[in-house]
Order: sequence, then structure tokens, then C-alpha cells
Amino acid sequence: MLPKYNVLTDEQVRAIHEESIRILSEVGMEFGYGPALAVFQKEDQNVEGNRVHFTREFIEDKVRLAPAEFTLHARNPEHNLVCGGDHIIYMPGYGAPFIHEVDGSRRKTMMQDYDNFVKLAGASKNLHMTGGTVAEPQDIHDEIRHLKMLYSSIKNSDKCFMGSAEGRERAEDSIEIASILFGGREVIKEKPVLISLINSLTPLKYDGRMLGALMAYAEAGQALVIASLVMAGSTGPAALAGTLALQNAEVLAGIALAQSINPGTPVVYGSTSALSDMHSGSLSIGSPECALFISASAQIARFYKVPSRSGGGLNDSKIVDAQAGYESMMTLMASTVTGINFVLHTAGILQYFMAMSYEKFMMDDEMAGMLLHYMNGFHFDEDGMAFDVIAKVGPGGHFLTQKHTRKNHRREFRTAELSDRVAYDSWAKEKIDTNERAHKKWQKVLANYVPPALDAEVDKKLQEFIAKRAAKLM
Amino acid sequence: MNLYDELKQAVIDGDEDMVAELSEKAVAEGTSPVDAVQEGLVKGIEVIGEAWKAGEAFLPDVMMSAEAMKAGLAILEPEIAKLGMGDGNVKGKIVIGTVEGDIHDIGKNIMGAMFTAAGYKVFDLGTDIKVEEFVKKAREVGADIIGASALLTTTMIGQKQIIQYLKEQNLRGQFRVFVGGGPTSQSWANEIGADGWAETADEAVELANRILAR
Repeated sequence: MLPKYNVLTDEQVRAIHEESIRILSEVGMEFGYGPALAVFQKEDQNVEGNRVHFTREFIEDKVRLAPAEFTLHARNPEHNLVCGGDHIIYMPGYGAPFIHEVDGSRRKTMMQDYDNFVKLAGASKNLHMTGGTVAEPQDIHDEIRHLKMLYSSIKNSDKCFMGSAEGRERAEDSIEIASILFGGREVIKEKPVLISLINSLTPLKYDGRMLGALMAYAEAGQALVIASLVMAGSTGPAALAGTLALQNAEVLAGIALAQSINPGTPVVYGSTSALSDMHSGSLSIGSPECALFISASAQIARFYKVPSRSGGGLNDSKIVDAQAGYESMMTLMASTVTGINFVLHTAGILQYFMAMSYEKFMMDDEMAGMLLHYMNGFHFDEDGMAFDVIAKVGPGGHFLTQKHTRKNHRREFRTAELSDRVAYDSWAKEKIDTNERAHKKWQKVLANYVPPALDAEVDKKLQEFIAKRAAKLM
Repeated sequence: MNLYDELKQAVIDGDEDMVAELSEKAVAEGTSPVDAVQEGLVKGIEVIGEAWKAGEAFLPDVMMSAEAMKAGLAILEPEIAKLGMGDGNVKGKIVIGTVEGDIHDIGKNIMGAMFTAAGYKVFDLGTDIKVEEFVKKAREVGADIIGASALLTTTMIGQKQIIQYLKEQNLRGQFRVFVGGGPTSQSWANEIGADGWAETADEAVELANRILAR
């Protein structure tokens, strides 16, 4: 594993921390959820209405309770994931309401898309888990969407997946479903299986929906990504350091809340701040500023000794084109080389989180594979230095017929799976670009994918619970 | 510089305090409030609007000029009313808000500023707005357009409910309903029978110009 690339000095990281403490104590934050306010009151924080002013001691003491790393359990233990340290977890995009098709047309996301992206992530050797809300299935009623999505995540792959963050009730449903799958609430409290995305409402607020979910998961010992997305220039200052301090204040308050409810709750420091384009006002994530925020987030999380979440294959393009490629590589590479542990949105995202694309998914999967290989760095063992074979070939020979080459290239080189490396004439026969190539590829992967079997008894119990809940909610 | 030019410049500068001060001065000196608006405020906002379209001005410029313009109108409009004159120079009136259950408002705020900059009278209700509140305000001010924003796939339904409610109340013909926000689209607007949808704030203004001109 390569050493981590830093964008801040130690003094700068401390300066961000000090500014965040200042924001939390002098400005305070608003929490739109009574039970969360009650927790802060019990912890002797200054609570007036929905506004809470925090003390330095409270924030620092609570954040220290968060574990530096934890294991997230999958229904197939081979897919268990360690979150933290040098580990990296790649997964699909989250929450997009649209699908952008290969021809650039746009349509609503459907349940079929959700199933497909779970399967593609299940089939991928570069994506470590299947994520959550990989597509917002708009053909399913809002009230029962979380149930259908969770079932699909369980049925179509045996990798780790995410829970619903849409309020306490849906979090409770997620926990119950996970309990059925893994054998009870006590089991999952010992071994967390769900991780859920809690977002602040920048600037300096959390809404009731997210806080309800945060509290339910913390009580059940499930992992949380506590995230703030500041849009510098609109929901935050047009200042990169100030935006980091604001983002950091929001995340620290969320982590402190989770640790107050259940000390040792596995949390991930999660932020992908970016900027508002100063002409249109829209979010821009395929930007150098966003890459800086990603990199700084990794470093700040290390300072607090908690795992980090940020980045992904982020871009503002509408289709798989050069812009989608160069922006996504910048942000995914920034995430990877700076040591982000949990890379939500690794694959599929187009147009600042608004859309998922099957073609983009395949391109990002290729980039993820390239970066995982990049992070392996160099081998300095005997085969890696290869003196014997250099001596054997000597001046003027070649290495293609050497046993060492035949064996060792499999370890040292990565075979491209989507990129085109053929000569001009071969390419010129069809002149197929990345977008078209990816379009063919995902259909083939999907057609060949066989979801891992789910125990029939467990499947029955899950379906019964979901049917019962759906009947009640509709 | 005469007072009108000063007002114009203060709007261009996005200087809310200066616009308010100059507007008070105009009232105190007995200057025609109609001219202060037309020759001062409106001229200033036009300059900024053009500069924005040309890519020379940025969003904060437009939004601050819109705020400054509003500050001037708050002082000058009551004077115009005293003269027994209506708001004949207003292009149209629009009531905007984010639908119930949704608390996202950046996009809506940008749209409000763009409409103000384009010469519309904007009534911004804020976020998490019930259907009845949209309609109540629209009736109260005699709005031309109701603009409903939503950022979540789970709250978009609030836009549809506004149209249903208007039909139930036999008011559908009175107001144009515009919808917008991240997960919305032209096909969604068609599906719920909205009068207008646009992806960006300036497209929304152009759409309003076209529809109200009919």
C-alpha cells in the first residue's frame, strides 16, 4: 500500500479543528428532533429551543469514543469489510433520481434499475459492497420503497449493503430486516451489518428525519456515515478553509450525538463538500475544489482517528464522455491516494449526483480496478527486483519468452477490462468509443450474473415481514 | 450624478443599505416614486441582468442586486400606492415556495432573485409550505404564477397536490403553476398537468415571459 498523500499540514488540520470548535461553541447548531435535543440537554450542553451550543470538552471527549476501525459483516463472510486504517471500500452511487441512457436521453429510475445496479456491483471484482439507494425506484410507492430496496440488496448479492436513513421508522424496518437475515438483534449489535448515510442540513442544521434514523441505528449498534455536503458559495462560504471548518463542525456534532447515545458506535467521518457554480448556482463536484475537499476530509478524519467517507467517480457531465472521464478520475484518484476508506459514489454517477448511468458504472468500475492496482505500488521481493532474469537475458535480448515473465506479469500488471489497447486498424473497423463499449459490457455482465443463493427459510421470513409491513404502510 | 443614476448604481453594486437610503431621500425630496423605480431601480437591475446573461456577472451579483432592488421597492411602492397608482410596471406576480416536507431552498432562492431581476414581483413563502398556503397567498396578492420547488423524489408529490387542490377549489384557471427542482422534469410536469417546468432559473423566467405574453 502506498503512503497517504496529504494536502494539509498538521498545523492546518489543527487550525480547522479549532475553527470548528469555535463555530460549535459560539454559533451553535439547530437540531429538528426533540429526542436529540434531550440527549444534548442530558449531556449538559447549552440547549435553547432547537439551538445547541457545544463545549469543547463534550465534542472532543465524545469523538474520542468512536472506534478507529470496525468490521462490517456480509451474509457471505468472505465479503466482510474492514472500514478504517489502510482499507478502501468502493461501491455504487447513491440516491440518483434519473438514469442517463447511452444516447444521452434521460428517464426516471425504476426498481429494475435498482436490481440491475445491485447485480452489477455484486458481479464486480472492484466494488467491495453494493451500497444503498443505488437508484431511487420511482415506480414503487415512497412508503414501501425502503423495504423493496433492502430486499433487492439482500437477494441479488451477498455483499454488504446500506440501511435506510429516511427517518426512525424506516431505520427500524432496516434493522428488523437485517436481524431476520443475520439471526437476531443481539447478533447484529455485536457484529454490525448495516451502514447508513446521515446527512446534515448545511449550514449548521440536522433535520428530524436524519436524526431519527441516526438515533435508531446508534441504539442498535449499527454503523453510520455522518456526512456534510457544503456547497461552498451557497450553503457555505466561498472560502475553502472556512468550508472545511463548517463541514467539520457539522460532522463532529453528529459523531458526538451518536457516541452520546451509544459509546463506541461505529461511525465514518463522511463529507464530500463541493462548490456552487457561481453562474448557475448548481452543485459542481467534478471540480478541483471538490478534489481538495475530498483529500482534506481524509486527513481530518485521520486526525480524529475515525474512518473517512468521501469522493467517488464524481463529475458534472451528462453522458460518458471525456469530461465524465477526466473529472471522475481526478476525484476517485484523490479519494484513493489520500486514504478515504469508504468511497460512496464510486460507480455510476453523472451530473452532480442527479443521475446514474450504466455506461458510466462500467467506466468507473474500470477506473476503480486501475486505482486498486495503482495502490498496490511496487513489489521489492526477489521476483519484483527480477535480477536473475535480467542477468539471464543480458544485453540486447528480450523477456517475452522467459518463465519469469509468463508468471510474474499476472501479479505485476493489471489487464484492462474496458479500455481499448488495440492497434489503429483493429479499432477503426467499428470505431467504438468508451460509451458504446461500456454499453455492450454491462449487458453482458448482467446476462451472465447469477445471484448467490439465499437460504429459503430466511427468504420466506424476509418476504413475510416485508409483506406485513407493506400492508400496514400502504 | 442625479438621484436616478445613484439609485441605478446602488442596485448594480448590490448595496441594499445605499438603495434604501437613496429611496428614502427620493421620498423626502418629493421625487416621483414611479420615476425612481423606472429610471433608477429598474435600469440598474437591467444592467446586471444583461451582464449575467453575457457571463460577466455572477450569481451573487444578481442576487444581491435583486435584494437591493427589493429594499428600494419596499420604500417606493407604498408611495406609488398613495398616488393611487397600481403596480402597472410589474411584469407579473409570482408566489414561490418549497413544498411540504422539503426544506431545500437554494434553487428556489436563486429563482426568486432571477424573477425579481427580470421585473417580476416575487412573494417567497419559504420552505415546507402546505398546498393551502401557496393558494391562499396567490389569491391574496392576485398572483399570475405559483412556483413550487421540490428536491426530493419523496416530496415532488406536493407539486401535484397543488394542481389537484386548485381544481377542487375551482381555481385552476386563475393561476399558472410552475414546478421545478432536482428530481423534476418536463415529463413530470406533463404528467401532473403543470403549466411550466424549467431546469434553470433563467429558463424559468423566459418561460414565464412567453406564457404571460400569450
